[in-house]
Amino acid sequence: MSELLSNKELANKTVVDFLKKKEKTKTKFYFNDLCKLFPDDKPRQIKKIINVMVTDEILEYWSSGSTTMYGLKGAGKQAAAEGEK
Amino acid sequence: MAFISSGYNPDKPMEDRITDIGPRKYDEFYPSVIAKNKGKWSHHEILEAGVIVHVAESGDEVYTVRVGGCRLMTTTHLEEICQIADKHCDGHVRFTTRNNVEFMVDSKDKVEPLKNDLASRIFSGGSQKFPIGGTGAGITNIVHTQGWIHCHTPATDASGTVKATMDEVFEDFQSMRLPAKLRISMACCLNMCGAVHCSDIAILGYHRKPPMLDHEYLDKICEIPLAIKACPTAAIRPAKTKLADGTEVKTVAVKNERCMFCGNCYTMCPSMPLADTEGDGIVLMAGGKVSNRISHPKFSKVVVAFIPNDMPRWPSMTDAIKKMINAYSNGANKYERLGDWAERIGWEKFFEVCELDFSHHLIDDFRQQAYMSWRQSTQFKF
Amino acid sequence: MAKHKTPLLDQLESGPWPSFVSDLKHQAEVRAKNEEGIEFQIPQDCVEDLLGVLELSYKHGRTHWKHGGIVGVFGYGGGVIGRYCDQPALFPGVEHFHTMRVSQPAGKYYTTEYLRNIMKLWDLRGSGVTNMHGSTGDIILLGTTTPQLEEIFYELTHNLNQDLGGSGSNLRTPADCLGSSRCEYACYDSQALCHFLTNEYQDELHRPAFPYKFKFKFDACPNGCVASIARSDMSFIGTWKDDIQIDQDAVNKYVENDSAYPSNAGAHKNRDWGPFDIQKEVINLCPTGCMSFENKQLTIDNANCTRCMHCINTMPRALKPGKEKGCSILCGAKAPILDGAQMGSLLVPFVEVNPDNDYQAITEVIENIWDWWMEEGNNRERLGELIMRQGFQRLLEVTGIKAAPQHVQYPRTNPYIFWKEEEVPGGWERDVEEYRKHHLR
Repeated sequence: MSELLSNKELANKTVVDFLKKKEKTKTKFYFNDLCKLFPDDKPRQIKKIINVMVTDEILEYWSSGSTTMYGLKGAGKQAAAEGEK
Repeated sequence: MAFISSGYNPDKPMEDRITDIGPRKYDEFYPSVIAKNKGKWSHHEILEAGVIVHVAESGDEVYTVRVGGCRLMTTTHLEEICQIADKHCDGHVRFTTRNNVEFMVDSKDKVEPLKNDLASRIFSGGSQKFPIGGTGAGITNIVHTQGWIHCHTPATDASGTVKATMDEVFEDFQSMRLPAKLRISMACCLNMCGAVHCSDIAILGYHRKPPMLDHEYLDKICEIPLAIKACPTAAIRPAKTKLADGTEVKTVAVKNERCMFCGNCYTMCPSMPLADTEGDGIVLMAGGKVSNRISHPKFSKVVVAFIPNDMPRWPSMTDAIKKMINAYSNGANKYERLGDWAERIGWEKFFEVCELDFSHHLIDDFRQQAYMSWRQSTQFKF
Repeated sequence: MAKHKTPLLDQLESGPWPSFVSDLKHQAEVRAKNEEGIEFQIPQDCVEDLLGVLELSYKHGRTHWKHGGIVGVFGYGGGVIGRYCDQPALFPGVEHFHTMRVSQPAGKYYTTEYLRNIMKLWDLRGSGVTNMHGSTGDIILLGTTTPQLEEIFYELTHNLNQDLGGSGSNLRTPADCLGSSRCEYACYDSQALCHFLTNEYQDELHRPAFPYKFKFKFDACPNGCVASIARSDMSFIGTWKDDIQIDQDAVNKYVENDSAYPSNAGAHKNRDWGPFDIQKEVINLCPTGCMSFENKQLTIDNANCTRCMHCINTMPRALKPGKEKGCSILCGAKAPILDGAQMGSLLVPFVEVNPDNDYQAITEVIENIWDWWMEEGNNRERLGELIMRQGFQRLLEVTGIKAAPQHVQYPRTNPYIFWKEEEVPGGWERDVEEYRKHHLR
């Protein structure tokens, strides 16, 4: 595991900064997009860290039914449009 | 109604949380004769349509009575299944991959009472609750998808087309007179969440119009980059347009000739609906199989390019299906699947004997595999 | 008295096949009467509204559902599909009407006790409408509201020892045939393998990190009753290596048309096809022509048998699969979208199915494939499409499997082999000056 990924605080910041930067145009990303933030790590390791960010309520999933995406919790237009939040 | 808590605390979602436990273990649910003879079965025989006996090396027997079930099933109906299973089968029941229900008993004398009980149960509207059949060289239940009852991209209904078809081919559900088994499958759009592409006969819902664009709301409700990315053929690009009142809004533009009508954009963006009364309908495919028996597994081929939705019973669709089944039943050799028969007589003869029209839509023009389906030979039948 | 008139759906109540409309109407009545005094947690009349919105679709020829991005319960990225009605004012009972996928037991055997527990939970907290089962294999609970999702999950896990199934970019709930539990053709215990892998890969099933969906299906013999070769990214099909077991006495019973030995296990009983003729119906139909029957003796040239099952299916009391059993693994099946349909392509011709070492030989193949697909797969690219894009040779490379003629129908018809530098003696770096000593410019 790279130094970046093994440092929880730094890893979280990297993901959050990336998502915040993109927030104006897009709030949901494929897992692959997040993997690019950790070029020195294997997807299965990155997955573990990303999923902890979901249980820590930093990120949340969004699903098209066939594909799942990640975004900052509560971000995006869909949540409001679906009348759930 | 008062809210009843399960014990879950929304403020502490991780408290006492149980996860990753998977399904229940299969052998908790085995009837005793199954548990005892698992892996030690000697042979089986279909005694009559819908009734199978399996004989174990120990001499034990299990009699299975198979009945057609609706994939869409309520707890009221399930309760009735449970009552039958309690009365005849020691509280055990099984479902098949093709939405049939199997009641198993461990001796022959228990079969008739079970059959009589099943056959006596009729819905108030007149249909049978538990028709016995679906075995051997006949037509078993149709596997299908969700349709209008619960999906956002269907081009037709699933439960309704299946009911209409099964009513028409019902005789072959309860008999075994065909040359081989005949499997019908149904998927209500081209995404095929129920893969129907290897069925003897496949019913497929199909859209024919690209999405509409709700420009005024599109950028308010949807994330434009996601809608663009959702398109498998890259037909969507960002655009700007002026509304009637003169305001300029961000939206998308669709290259209509590239659209394959999958509805993936609608999934991501509710401002791009594509359902349409005239545009939507049914494609019929035929000649596929998954078994390795005699010939290799093979894909179904498109034999009817489009049939309009004709609710509630889709008579043109069931008519075309019946024509194919009749021609197959009359023409095929014993053990020959529909696709093997069509290949033996030639597809040009298939259209003739099934009385189906051939049109340019049936000639493949989609990517590389199209060439493989054209005729590179002077051997053909007039 | 029904809440909505349904003249079109009413026409689907007649005819012999079970009517889902009658079933739904009955359910609506049962909920309206509520003789059991259930404190319904979602609208009592939701099934009435479900019939109403379906009738409207029959009238319009268009769906009235919208997709929702809600994915599951806390920490899970699958198992729930969000649905919203696009006519909520007309049908408030189904305004929010989400689906939950419940992981089915392998083989789909049930006790009524278990089913009743699920039903009780679903009547209280949902519509009471189900799919038994969905296309992938799960028990589908059709129609509940967002606040109920966690409550249902809590009850499932705490009271029923039962988890949700998969959706989205996850491992989807694996599904199998009933295998050796009730079938003499089974070449391995499909339920044991299905259950083991489902549990082994719970994290992959609940927490999405794949480029797209991924399916396992298990057929215990080449008859393929769960259609794994057409419907799963990895298909495990039972097979054997040694000789078909023959009981010559039983073969002759079939030949003599003994009534206790009906051909094809009785599957053709309702038409008179004439007496069973072993030459015509078995020997001549064998795809490899590897059988003969002379002097009351059936002979099989097993080295040329491709295990299609036809002779075994036709004379099940006389022939059985061999004793050295295992499975073949095929990869890449998918429905046509996007690049056309694919069936599974043979990757592992034979592998032992050994529970004693936790199916090590199988999990190794799976994990090698996942590592490759997760690193190289494009977003929404199924395994079959990645194999097409990067080549079957690459699949062999990442799984460390040696190429064999079994992998192809026939060898390539073009010579455009992309030789790698290390495959060519001396490599690609050459001295042009040395060349020019013998070849003038």
